[in-house]
Amino acid sequence: MSDLTLLILRLVFLVVLWAFVFAVVYALRSDLFGQKVRRQAADAAAANPFPSSPVAAAPVAPVQVPLPVPNDAPTAAVRPMTPTPGGPATRLIITGGPKEGLEIELPREQLTIGRSSESGLVIRDDYTSTHHARLMMWNNAWVVQDLDSTNGTYLDGTRVTVPTPIPMNTPIKIGTTSFELRR
Amino acid sequence: MPSRSNSDTAQQIPIDAGPRANFTESIRIKLRVPARLRNLELLLLLLAFVIDAGAVALVQFGALGGIHTSIFYLLAALGILILVLHFVLRVVATNADPLILPIITVLNGLGIAMIYRLDLARGVDKMQGDGERQIIWTALAIVLALLVIVVIRNHRVLQRYRYVAMFSGIVLLLLPMIPHLGHTINGARLWIRIFDFTFQPGELGKIALAIFFAGYLVTARDSLSMVGTKVLGMTLPRARDLGPILVVFAASMAVLIFQKDLGTSLLYFGLFLVMIYVATGRASWIVLGLGMFAVGALVANQLLSYVNGRITGWLDAFSPEYYDKEGGSFQLVQGLFGLAHGGIIGTGLGSGRPDLTPLASSDYIISALGEELGLVGLFAILALYLLFVSRGFRIGFAGQDDFGRLLAVGLSFVIALQVFIVIGGVTRVIPLTGLTTPFLAAGGSSLVANWIIAALLLRLSDSVRSQPRAVIE
Repeated sequence: MSDLTLLILRLVFLVVLWAFVFAVVYALRSDLFGQKVRRQAADAAAANPFPSSPVAAAPVAPVQVPLPVPNDAPTAAVRPMTPTPGGPATRLIITGGPKEGLEIELPREQLTIGRSSESGLVIRDDYTSTHHARLMMWNNAWVVQDLDSTNGTYLDGTRVTVPTPIPMNTPIKIGTTSFELRR
Repeated sequence: MPSRSNSDTAQQIPIDAGPRANFTESIRIKLRVPARLRNLELLLLLLAFVIDAGAVALVQFGALGGIHTSIFYLLAALGILILVLHFVLRVVATNADPLILPIITVLNGLGIAMIYRLDLARGVDKMQGDGERQIIWTALAIVLALLVIVVIRNHRVLQRYRYVAMFSGIVLLLLPMIPHLGHTINGARLWIRIFDFTFQPGELGKIALAIFFAGYLVTARDSLSMVGTKVLGMTLPRARDLGPILVVFAASMAVLIFQKDLGTSLLYFGLFLVMIYVATGRASWIVLGLGMFAVGALVANQLLSYVNGRITGWLDAFSPEYYDKEGGSFQLVQGLFGLAHGGIIGTGLGSGRPDLTPLASSDYIISALGEELGLVGLFAILALYLLFVSRGFRIGFAGQDDFGRLLAVGLSFVIALQVFIVIGGVTRVIPLTGLTTPFLAAGGSSLVANWIIAALLLRLSDSVRSQPRAVIE
């Protein structure tokens, strides 16, 4: 092999080495961690859209079967709801129970609630089921769905049976904990 | 349903879709989204393999003038092991950081290429050289890293074993001091020797100590940070809270005096200082600790001849007196000559004379790589270390439990400090101390320890991403 070819190969090697470095830096840019600072809620949801999807846990899977009959389904879910002025809620604030005052950022698409440690919001008291309920973003509004829990999920005092849109500042009660969604 | 693009996808799935549709929809998405990270990792790994194989091929072109395939079979075996690790990650840690594995693959491969190149320079036969030994150690290290990832499913388990970690850390530190078991190489008593097999237990000790410091500081930091008197704008800790720092200081001084190793001593003490600083957020610990270490080093400079030798050899490296002296600055200056010979783009792999520097494959691998890859290549290597450490800090930053945060910061800082101590020593920024360059240098214990650190960081990053947002109990 001639010296020139070897020299070119060596230069190519250095270029490829730096290409690798820049590929890593490029990946960092779009990496989920990198976005975390700017859009916390969004990328957390993207990283883990189903932290404890009922599908993952076999016994709970059939829960999805008794989903609402079309006619009874809340308008929010069926046709695009007019987005609440100012956009959907971004924070969940615990208003009652052991962790009263705790505030968490809502993910972009869904938050699961239950005793399971895979849940987005883990509530470990005697009244909470393993996969108790979930909050979902449907057509730019938050909807609460009870996952056939034993003790039920109460939205403003009424037991949730079908996925129901959550108005702003309305208490949801699960076990001994109640929380509200705020903007 | 959930997808990263906006609500137009959401509208396509009506609420009254049959259970089946919902079911499959969920599964499809569950598989698709996490794999994104792993696919990125696979892509970067393939590029990393190209770089590693290219480095070895260039070494052979430069030093032998042609390709000899035998070593490539060993490298291919390593590549398969790394791919196995990658696929295990797909199953047990889908959300783990995708950049750590490719970065250390490149570093490790460059190290192997350079060690193999030094074997060729010494005319060592294949299957007996350090290069093959390094490949075998790498394989062992990857297998251990794999076990760590598979066995430790939740890093918080480690917090429970913090006192076990403390005990094993101290035992690992003291092992080389046991008569007959301890083994002295180049004046430093850092190795243990069982039959013909030497191991540096202190390398594993740094992991154990990082786990202990993290576990201990999570519980103790309130008392360490809340009270104290304010002097010159800094809140100094109370005298009775100085216990832990004094213990660690005493331990690192013991390493300095009895094992005669400046680098290891600095590494442990620096690790503790940074972790206590991160845990308490008080600069006074750093000032206090650096002050203590400076006093200790000054005293050691006066009393211990080897420390004094290192420092004069550093300050006055080019004087003929120290250059020719036994244990003087010959090695340091040879390394600098090597770097100078390399220049900007290097002599090219296989064409320099890195073998002229003593210990070129372990302590001085950076100057060997700097000579053959030049400033451009050396900076790429430093950038890779920077990226690796920044990933570790990032994992610590994003973590939600204090133990995990401290552990990630501690583990990545220990790599950063080690890189600084070694490369700073070789390039004459600080006095030369014997430590291995993480992932690059020849040495099994260092490889095993650093791969385990990488495995822990991978595990931490996975649990950071999968953690609940809040727990109510």
